[in-house]
Order: sequence, then structure tokens, then C-alpha cells
Amino acid sequence: MSKKNSVFDGLFGDNTVLSSLMVISPVIMCGDKVKNALALIYAFSAITFISVLIGSFVPKKLPYAVKITIYAFISSLVYIPVKLMAQQFFPTVINRTGIYFMLLAVNSLIMVQTETKFYRMKKSRMFFSLIFYILGFDVVMLITSVLRELIAYGTVYEKVVDADILISGIGMPFGGFVFLGLFCGLYRKIRFIVRQRNGGKKNVSGN
Amino acid sequence: MFLVTELILLLTSNLILTQALGTSTLFIAAGNRKNLFWTSVTITIFTTAGSAAAYFINDIIPLGAENLMPLFYAMAVGTLYIVLLTILYFVSRKNFKTARKYVHLSAFNCAVMGTLFTITEKVAENHQLNTMSGFILAGLEAGLGFILASLILTSAYRRLTSADVPASFRGFPAMLLYLGIISMAVYALS
Amino acid sequence: MQKKTKLQRFVWIDIMITLMTLEIMQYFYYGIRAVVLSGICVAVSVIAEIISIRMMKRKFTADDLMCVSDALIISLMMPAVMNFRIAGIACVFAVVVAKNVFGGRKNMIFSPSASAYVFMLTSWKSQLLMFTTPHTHTGISEKAVNLVSSASHTFNTSGKMNFTDFEIIMGNVTGASGAVSILLLAVSAVILILRRDISAGAFTGTIAGTVIPAYFAPMCDSRYDSIKYSLVANMVLFASIYIISDKRIAPKRSYYAFFYGFFIALTAYIVTMTTAKENVIVIMSLLFTPISLGFKSLEKHIENLKKEEAKAFE
Repeated sequence: MSKKNSVFDGLFGDNTVLSSLMVISPVIMCGDKVKNALALIYAFSAITFISVLIGSFVPKKLPYAVKITIYAFISSLVYIPVKLMAQQFFPTVINRTGIYFMLLAVNSLIMVQTETKFYRMKKSRMFFSLIFYILGFDVVMLITSVLRELIAYGTVYEKVVDADILISGIGMPFGGFVFLGLFCGLYRKIRFIVRQRNGGKKNVSGN
Repeated sequence: MFLVTELILLLTSNLILTQALGTSTLFIAAGNRKNLFWTSVTITIFTTAGSAAAYFINDIIPLGAENLMPLFYAMAVGTLYIVLLTILYFVSRKNFKTARKYVHLSAFNCAVMGTLFTITEKVAENHQLNTMSGFILAGLEAGLGFILASLILTSAYRRLTSADVPASFRGFPAMLLYLGIISMAVYALS
Repeated sequence: MQKKTKLQRFVWIDIMITLMTLEIMQYFYYGIRAVVLSGICVAVSVIAEIISIRMMKRKFTADDLMCVSDALIISLMMPAVMNFRIAGIACVFAVVVAKNVFGGRKNMIFSPSASAYVFMLTSWKSQLLMFTTPHTHTGISEKAVNLVSSASHTFNTSGKMNFTDFEIIMGNVTGASGAVSILLLAVSAVILILRRDISAGAFTGTIAGTVIPAYFAPMCDSRYDSIKYSLVANMVLFASIYIISDKRIAPKRSYYAFFYGFFIALTAYIVTMTTAKENVIVIMSLLFTPISLGFKSLEKHIENLKKEEAKAFE
């Protein structure tokens, strides 16, 4: 594996969901319908981006636990206007996504990656890297929801698609686990092939 | 018979198997039995104490201001986080370095925060649960559920990371599929 | 190693012979459609197995033919009028998701047939648990009519079975086409145990785990009837032979295997009694996978300790 980190890592090389297994519960639980996915993509992107940017101004000298608590405080504050806006854009979806919408306020990208990754970078690099980590979640969430909605309910964005056999289990939480597991394996295979072509080392474990 | 029914209830209301809460933490901790044990214990402490705090917070939050809930819960968990670290520091400075990583890993994860939100949701549906003991028991149950899920994963950990598993699926993807099939059986039972 | 490989192939042949007898009974009661359904399951499973083994860069050998017996087991647990496409999807799930993703036969974690059954139960419950009555021969492309629930469902909800003992023994009852032929299943169990193709410990454990609670907490008025019906309903006998006693999944030592089977059956009995759900034993066999894996680790640990002790004596 090429050890030189790229700002695009969050999207492909070290995908937020498929490689680091961060923020997987919303993908498993709410990634069964495109409408849910869009609402969560909006909330995740807005909360994470704003919170990480504001959090970067927190003094680095503070103890780790205090900093994490402050980040949680910031993101929970950011959550309020984001939720109010979501009620305007996605009024029906908010209830359906339930606790997963609230949980985005304390997602791993804010609680863990800030200290271990983002705040160790220069501000400009952090800015772009953060965008790609957020996109990493967004893309996986969107692909997962399109496919799961199609297979489980025979619709895409609630528009009926001609499908003979529906596998309703794929829309259930266990279907989310199975789908994400298969997606994760496929992602690793593709990443391995790409890295092999680029002359990288054979390392696909990704753990 | 009572024991079997209770065990099945613990499975069918398990936060990891039915709501995917705390799955990433479980995977991170699963690599080592000691890690898994201490993470599970710390999460149980957080869910139980956090639920007790949630009981008081729900009383404070005025009706119609539910959007403030994550903020108050985050503050409560943050306070617990700092208090627990302080206690650990003064009780055993020798083991503090090792012990604190479990606290860091457990504090702000989906299993803990999700438990608080889930209990509050349940209480909104059934007001009889709105007691201090109801909250604490629900928090404890969530923690025990995490322990049960970690035992389920630990028993298969070696096989899921063995060289026999295709490289693309070795580790995390195999764990997701393994939990998926167990979760499917739980769903069929519930 | 060679001996071990051969043994696995012989196990497959023995299991196939017993499954084929059930298949013949299935043909007798439900006609050609049941046979076509099994054929589709086998074909899809073999294709899925070959493709996934190629993707794993391994060679397809005779030992990989276990996928055929798994496919037959799946087809025997379905109603004869099951949608062919659903059957095909279930077989792909069994081969790819429940088996080969974890490394295939070298690293078996779940019973492929149990996984496929539970998968169908969660996605197509109504199709899986509605049956035609015996001697109703549905054409291959015909749509099934007059579907009824199984004899197990009647027993779970009312504690009664509206069939004579002879009908039950001969499999002339409504239910999964292959899982109700009690006489054949009993003979198969004896043969497979004597030829050491299935785990005797797990099998006796399952039977004990059903009989004991059925005696002490009967599901109907008579204890005798409770034991009798608990053994023949809900696929208990079928699952105890082909799923729970599967040597690839059950613990090796008879002692552990007995308790593994016993607790599966015991919990299945309690759940059936309290919820009236059908075929809980298959779901339980999946849920007890971690226990089986735990027993296997323990066995390995004991073996290693014994080896170390032997070395120390030397």
C-alpha cells in the first residue's frame, strides 16, 4: 500500500464506510431507501463539515477527553439548525430515520478522526481531505440505498421499477449487514486490482 | 424456561443485532479478548450511568425542544467521560494508561448515545417505563446486549480472520456478513 | 490427508442416497414439480459453487459436491410449489453468502441449508409456509391453488394433528415436501449414524432436547402425544439429521455435540411452545453457531494441551 496519503483517500483509498467502517449504523439501518439516504447525506455532510471546521479552533493543549467533549458539544449545537432545515426539506423522512439522524451529531468522523487525522494536517489540506471523507460516506450511502431499495421494494426514489422478485430481507437491518459486507468485499477487490495496476504492494486486508 | 425466554429477549432487543448500534466499536475491540472484555464493561457502565442521567435530562428539556436532546445527552456523557477518567486516575495511576483507552473508545460511540436515544423513544411510546429504575435497567440491558454480541463475535473471530477466508472478505467484511446472518436468525425469531 | 478427502466424499454419497429416497417420496406425493424444483436448486448451487470457487482461485473437486446435498436439503424444506426463482436465490445465498465468502468447505461457519431456509423465511414467509396437500400434483408452470398451512402450524396453535399415525409415518401430511416422511427419516438417521456420516452426539442430543421438555411441559393433553408430535412436527427430525448433526458444523466430540444438539432442541421447544412459530429448530441451529464454534475452540485447546502433555512425558 502506498503510504503517501492523498486528500482523495476518504473517497476511495481509505473509504469512510467501506474501509474504516465508520458511520455504518445509518447505512445499515436507514440505507434502504433513497429518500432516507438523501436526508442523512445532507445532515451528515452539514454537521460534520461545520463541526470539524469549528472544532479546529479548539486549543490543542487541552486534555484529550475535554477536547472530545467540546467537539461533541459543538456538533450537537450544529445539529439544531441542520435538523430545523431538514424538517423543511425532508419532512416525512425525519421521523423514519429516528435516532440515526440524532446519532450523526456524534459520528466517528467528528469524535475520532478529528484528533487522529484532520487536526494533524495543515488547514488547507484538512479542508479538502474532510470533503472527500464526507463524500466517501455520501457515495456509499447513495449506492447502497439505490440498490437496496430496488432489490427490497422494487422502487427507486419511490418510483416503481419493473421487478419480478423482491427480496424484502435486503431492506431489513440484517439485509443491511449482508449487503454492506458484500459491498465491502467488492470494494477491497477493486482497490486491490487498482493498486496492483498502479504497481502498489499487494495488501488488501484493509484492517 | 424463564432463563431461555430472557436470553431470547436479550437477543431480540440487542442493539447491535437489531439496530446496528456500536458495530464499529465491536469490530475494533474484537481483535483481542482482553480489549473486548474491558470495552464491553466500560460501555455497560456508560449505558447504565448515561441512562440514569437521561432520566433527569428528559425532565429538564421542555416540550417542543427535543432538538436540544443530543446537546444535553452529549454533555451528560462528556461529564461521565471526564469523571470516569478522573476516578481511574486517582484509583490506579499504574493502570491508568491502559484503562483510559477503553474509556476513550466507549464514551461517544453509537452504542452509548444510541441507547439513550432508544430508551427515550421507548418511554415516549410507553409512559410506564418513565422511572429511574426503568431507565437504569434499560441501560444495563443495552450493555449486557453489547456483551452478548461481543461473545458472539469473539467465538468466530479466528475463523473470520483466518487465511482460509478470501483476502477481500477477510476481517471486517466477513464480520459484517457473520453478524448479518446471526441478525437474520434473530429477526426470524422476533 | 488423502484418507480424510475420501471420507468426505463417502459421506456425501451416503447423504445423497438418503436424500434421494426422500426425493422419490416427494415425487410420489407432489409429482414432477417437486423434482424439477430440486433439480433447479442443484443446478443453481453447482453453478454458484463453480463460479465462486474459481473466483477464490481454487479447483473444483469432488469434495465440493457437498453443495449438491445442501441444495437438495434446501429443496426438501420448501413446499413443492415454491417459486423457482426464489429457490434459486436461496441456493445462491447458501453457497455464496453463507459458505464461500467465509472460505468454503475449509472454513465452515454456518450450515448453508439452514441459512438459506432462514433467509427465505425472512423474505418470503408466506410462500415458504403455505403448502399444497399431499397427492396434489401441480404442473411445472402451473400456479398453485388451494394452499393450506402445515400440520406443524396446526399442532403449534392447537396442540392437535389431524392425521393418523400411519399417515404421519408415511409422510402423508401437509408440510415441507421432504421433511415429513418420518419413517424414511428414521431409517436415514440410523444408516447415517451407523456409517458415521452424521454426528451421533448431536442427533441424540437433539432428540433428548425435544423429548424431555415434551414430557415435562407437554404441548397437548397427553404426554405421549406431546412427545410424538414434537418429534415429527416443525422439521425436528429432518433438521436433527441434516442440519444439526452435520459434521461440518457440529462439535467433533460426542459429549459436546450432545449438549449442542440438546440446547438447540430445548430452546426451540420453548420458543415453539411460547410463540407457536413454525420450524424454530432451523432458526435455532443458526443462532447456536457461536456455541458450536466455542465448543470447537475448546476441543482444539484440549487437543493442544494433550499434545503438550505427551511431549512433556517424552
